[in-house]
Amino acid sequence: MNRVIEVDVEARVAWVEPGVLNLDLSRMVTHLGLHYAPDPSSQQACTIGGNVATNAGGPHCLAAGVTSSHILALDIVLADGSVARLGGLEPDVPGLDLRGCFVGSEGTMGIATRIAVRLQPNPPCVRTLLLDFMSIDAAAATVSAIIAAGIVPSALEMMDARITRAVEDYVRAGYPRDAEAVLLAELDGLPAGVEAAVAVVDRVGREHGARTVRVAADAAERALLWKGRKSAFGAIARIAPDYYLHDAVVPRTRLVEVLHQVYEIAAAHELIVVNVFHAGDGNLHPILVFDARDPGIWDRVHAAGDAIVRACVAAGGVLSGEHGIGLEKRDLMPLVFNVDDLDAQARLRDAFDPDGRANPQKVLPRGSRCGETMRVPEGAWV
Amino acid sequence: MKLQLPEDDLVACVACGLCLPACPTYRVTGLEIASPRGRIAAMQAVQLGGAPIDAEFTAAMDACLVCRGCEVACPSSVPFGHLMEAARATLQPRRPAQRRFAEWLGYRLVLPHHGLLLALTWLLAVAQRLRLVPNRFGLPRLSFRSLRTPLDADAHPDVFLFTGCVMDAWQREVHRAALTVMRATGARPGLPGVHGGCCGALHLHAGLDDQARALAKQVIASLPPEGPVVVDSAGCGAAMKDYGRLLDTDGARAFSARVRDFSEWLAEQAPLPLRPSGTTVVVQDPCHLRHVQHAEHAVRTVLRGGYQLVEIDDDGLCCGAGGAYSVTEPSLSAAVRARKVDAIRAAAGDGPFVVASANPGCAMHLAAAGLTVQHPAELVEEALP
Repeated sequence: MNRVIEVDVEARVAWVEPGVLNLDLSRMVTHLGLHYAPDPSSQQACTIGGNVATNAGGPHCLAAGVTSSHILALDIVLADGSVARLGGLEPDVPGLDLRGCFVGSEGTMGIATRIAVRLQPNPPCVRTLLLDFMSIDAAAATVSAIIAAGIVPSALEMMDARITRAVEDYVRAGYPRDAEAVLLAELDGLPAGVEAAVAVVDRVGREHGARTVRVAADAAERALLWKGRKSAFGAIARIAPDYYLHDAVVPRTRLVEVLHQVYEIAAAHELIVVNVFHAGDGNLHPILVFDARDPGIWDRVHAAGDAIVRACVAAGGVLSGEHGIGLEKRDLMPLVFNVDDLDAQARLRDAFDPDGRANPQKVLPRGSRCGETMRVPEGAWV
Repeated sequence: MKLQLPEDDLVACVACGLCLPACPTYRVTGLEIASPRGRIAAMQAVQLGGAPIDAEFTAAMDACLVCRGCEVACPSSVPFGHLMEAARATLQPRRPAQRRFAEWLGYRLVLPHHGLLLALTWLLAVAQRLRLVPNRFGLPRLSFRSLRTPLDADAHPDVFLFTGCVMDAWQREVHRAALTVMRATGARPGLPGVHGGCCGALHLHAGLDDQARALAKQVIASLPPEGPVVVDSAGCGAAMKDYGRLLDTDGARAFSARVRDFSEWLAEQAPLPLRPSGTTVVVQDPCHLRHVQHAEHAVRTVLRGGYQLVEIDDDGLCCGAGGAYSVTEPSLSAAVRARKVDAIRAAAGDGPFVVASANPGCAMHLAAAGLTVQHPAELVEEALP
């Protein structure tokens, strides 16, 4: 299931099988002047099917929208073996948006076998800027200020000091080793608009304490900077051999205080945390870095992780930006959803898969269905 | 029996998965156990988790091409090739008798004894004339005249051409082309003395460390102590550049520092004027030239003046030759090659083309799939005015 079935250049639509690698798809259509916009950092290794399951994001989803905005239709197989097409290629598909339900359902509603994705035209002009700061606060404040200034960059990414050094050791792209934080901002569109936006980002950055603002000179330099950002998770072993990656979203305006809390929580559990994330949409990726061979380390890692998620939710955030709920965050769902919310979600899922066969036990915690608590399991003694 | 891999290297994999698309066997199977991450997880399970060394584990280790494409893709620079070689060294004594006999024949008896290899090559050449050697083996047409005619060394050499074992027997014409091109730059190429045969690369991949070390010492002893050592086989060059680590002596490190791939050396000389031809050349990067020696750009530098160069859009994914891999794992090897051949044909477009390959194993493997393959040295020689 790893074939691109057809590409309609005029309609800018491709039908693909779920095993197609995200980056392979973009590379396959680049000669047509097109690309598939959602670009998770793992895009060279992750599949479109996986992207659909988690409604994946990526650096360029800030302006382009996450996976769901780029999925037009799906051929799916339900748990009872019947097949269905959700969504369609028409501009306004009649009926309920079942396609939207399915994208991000983590396999709990069925299996996608063919996926129609929207392809985007490559922008005529692209500029990538690297801003470096002597404090995390300054970088985080710059993120909010750029958006407040009316600019929505196509991507706006942040890396803290430790991860920047680890990445630079691998890519040698000229990331400053002595900065406390760096921002990678990308602007695209028509040349005049892009140049104006570059000037705004440059000015806002400097106003907030950017030490330098470097504009990538050419496509090669731009690619190298991005390679660094997208290799960040993989470069962790340069710090310690294991990591536990979190994924939560907070309102952009509260980035500064939540980041402070994240560093404090890690310190309280005697752990190293590094931050590399989609700053523009407030999607945090705090990474706890450790050596699994240390005795008792997992208890501390889990406790710190739990505290970080709770801090993000307390700041008005949500449990997951793009990595999904799965088993890991299933039992944290009541932090953001009340009983009625969970019941509604469970009944929606039941409509697709009444027996709970598709990826069972995931996403929704036990007891999500209101009726479930009233049903006395057979043989139980009440 | 336990694995004894360097633990810090073994745990340096954070399992991010960025290596997966760079792994040829993962690309054709889609199986985690056929990926670098899966293989490291298996090594960890055995060494750190107490899992047994069973047939499944052995098969997982054997299915790796050791192309080392994953090393370049790894942001944490896990030394995968060395881990795999060390794991195979542990497995070696447990191999079935039949396989060990075959390895003894090939690695111990024939490759290190160049006279015997040449004698067998004469027989092979006769068999080829009698049509007893199928084309799918990719064996180049063995020339009696070439086998009869030794290579010429210059007096007072200032650079040396390493001649190796199989390459000298089966592809001596490539050496002749390399010598011609080297002379065209004004250099005076010399040749190794006696015992300057096999470099030991295949032994190292198979986990035969002791023999690899013995051969490495012989190779170093066969060459004078100064002057660049030019190697026109990418696999041999990669191994010889690693003698310093393998033998862990200052002498070996000094030797390794002198080793240059043919194109790498030529690109460092004053550019040769070439006659431009209209021939389309698809550049195939042998893994051990690109992922290990990082010298693939030199091939383009030396060919650019004479040919229309075309790039393959597959990030240098392995062709499936992998030294003896095409013999030990024929079906995976063929599947990997099919992918490569598709990429090559797609890059070349319509019309005739030649594939440039700087490694004899890749050249034979691709020729067996029906492609016309030449060494960069041969292409440069043909374009000399």
